[in-house]
Amino acid sequence: MIEFRNVSKVYPTGTHALNKASLTIEKGEFVFIVGSSGAGKSTFLKLIMREEVPTSGSIIVNGMQLDKMKRRHVPMLRRTMGIVFQDFRLIDKMTVYDNVAFAMRAIGARPRAIKKRVPYILELVGLEGKGDRYPSELSGGEQQRVGLARALVNNPQMIIADEPTGNIDPEMSYEIIELLSEINKRGTTILIVTHELDLVQSFNRRVITIEKGVVVSDTVDIQS
Amino acid sequence: MKFSGLGYLIKEGIKSIWTNRMMSIASIGVLISCLLLTGAAELLTINVSSALESIGGTNVTRVFLEQHITDLEAVHIGDELARIPNVEKTVFISKDDAIKDYQDTLREDIFEQLTGEGNPMPNAIDVTMTDLAYYDDTIAAVLATEGVESARDTREIAQKLTMLNDLVGTMSLWIMAALVLISIFIISNTIRMTMYSRRFEISIMKSVGATDTFVRIPFVIEGMVIGLISGVIASGLLAVLYNVVLNTMKDIVALSFVPYSQVGLWASLAFVVAGVAIGALGSVVSIGRYLRKEGNELLGW
Ligand SMILES: Nc1ncnc2c1ncn2[C@@H]1O[C@H](COP(=O)(O)OP(=O)(O)OP(=O)(O)O)[C@@H](O)[C@H]1O
Ligand SMILES: [Mg+2]
Repeated sequence: MIEFRNVSKVYPTGTHALNKASLTIEKGEFVFIVGSSGAGKSTFLKLIMREEVPTSGSIIVNGMQLDKMKRRHVPMLRRTMGIVFQDFRLIDKMTVYDNVAFAMRAIGARPRAIKKRVPYILELVGLEGKGDRYPSELSGGEQQRVGLARALVNNPQMIIADEPTGNIDPEMSYEIIELLSEINKRGTTILIVTHELDLVQSFNRRVITIEKGVVVSDTVDIQS
Repeated sequence: MKFSGLGYLIKEGIKSIWTNRMMSIASIGVLISCLLLTGAAELLTINVSSALESIGGTNVTRVFLEQHITDLEAVHIGDELARIPNVEKTVFISKDDAIKDYQDTLREDIFEQLTGEGNPMPNAIDVTMTDLAYYDDTIAAVLATEGVESARDTREIAQKLTMLNDLVGTMSLWIMAALVLISIFIISNTIRMTMYSRRFEISIMKSVGATDTFVRIPFVIEGMVIGLISGVIASGLLAVLYNVVLNTMKDIVALSFVPYSQVGLWASLAFVVAGVAIGALGSVVSIGRYLRKEGNELLGW
């Protein structure tokens, strides 16, 4: 669950990236976040993962109050979410398997748990049999699947993706969102920032529009 | 705190030393030099003190007897002096022994003339005092004794030697402190470089919720292993160098030095412990600032 109440973010440069934004996203929702460049979408996500702290207002994410959170509690927050990047951020010199296992090793998972979990997740994202490949040997769509597998491997409550399809061709993009849809069916909250309105339309989900740091529209999908 | 990934972290730390081997070798080299210099400073201090003790004891005063005193009479006077309060012991120095001290500094023919009948040296007695604070009273009693001609005032020499000893001690302390700081600086620099080269991995670790401790461990291990390697190599070098220097010094000055067997084990232990501690400290120093950064800031994008 995400709750923003009158959240403002002013960067040290003086830019007002968010202006008293308020919104609630329930557990298990699937949300697109759209808006023009510089609107404050990435800032919104960075506040959720506490890469940035709000200038004012209150933020609650997965039961934790972020505006008062101590730095040493941040890892606990991050373990409740999986982050997917536009540029994939895979480690080139590691295989697909190790890239995914890395996320588990980083939080001290046992080797036996890693051996069991990684193949399962690779299969889930459609990468079975590609564990030994290196990122450079994969297509863009496949690389993002690795990114997604890494975000999922620690079994997070939500997935946060900032333009996950920004570097992939349209067909592959559709498949990635489809995959996120499947994951959402298992109860994982999904937040996707995107510029691709065609994609948003074909999925018919909740769409939050941010402009100049303000939530200007929030259409809740009637179907789901 | 969970340590189930400790094996992995240790492996990562050691791997990193190899990956950044040029920097690792450089810092091991610097660390070895620092340890050896620090050790040299400390060992010099130890040897200076020991040499001073052997020179003479700063509380030994040579008392000269009148020219006509025979060896037998001199021994009696020695017994008499030993009975004076504050005199710990007396040692008889015959004129033949006394002239031998000059054997090396005099030309052979001159030395020949001065031995035996031609010996101009008087018989003497080395008086060791218990407490130099009573030097004046004691020396007065000594001079009042029948047959005693004069006493060499060693207080000035004693003071100078003590000052020298203190000076060497203080200087080596400062040198050590400076070298330890330099070592920590070098290690922290090396670790900072390897952190920089691994900033991408660090940013991913943080994004999936790795704790600061977890991010830190491989780097601390790396620093400690670098320190350990340096300590062990420095100990080996010390064993060789110490004996070489000692043998050379022995030919130059006739002083008693502390043998390696007496200091070797302690010095080696100190090297290893100091190396590991400096390595750990150096890496902890460099990591703190880095860990506060997040995402793109960490990546410098
Ligand atoms: N670290 C920062 N320091 C200063 N200003 C920043 C920083 N990050 C973002 N901004 C500014 O804040 C505003 C909102 O940025 P943000 O990245 O949230 O926009 P966005 O909606 O994600 O845009 P885009 O679609 O181009 O990614 C912009 O004007 C941007 O220049
Ligand atoms: Mg953005």
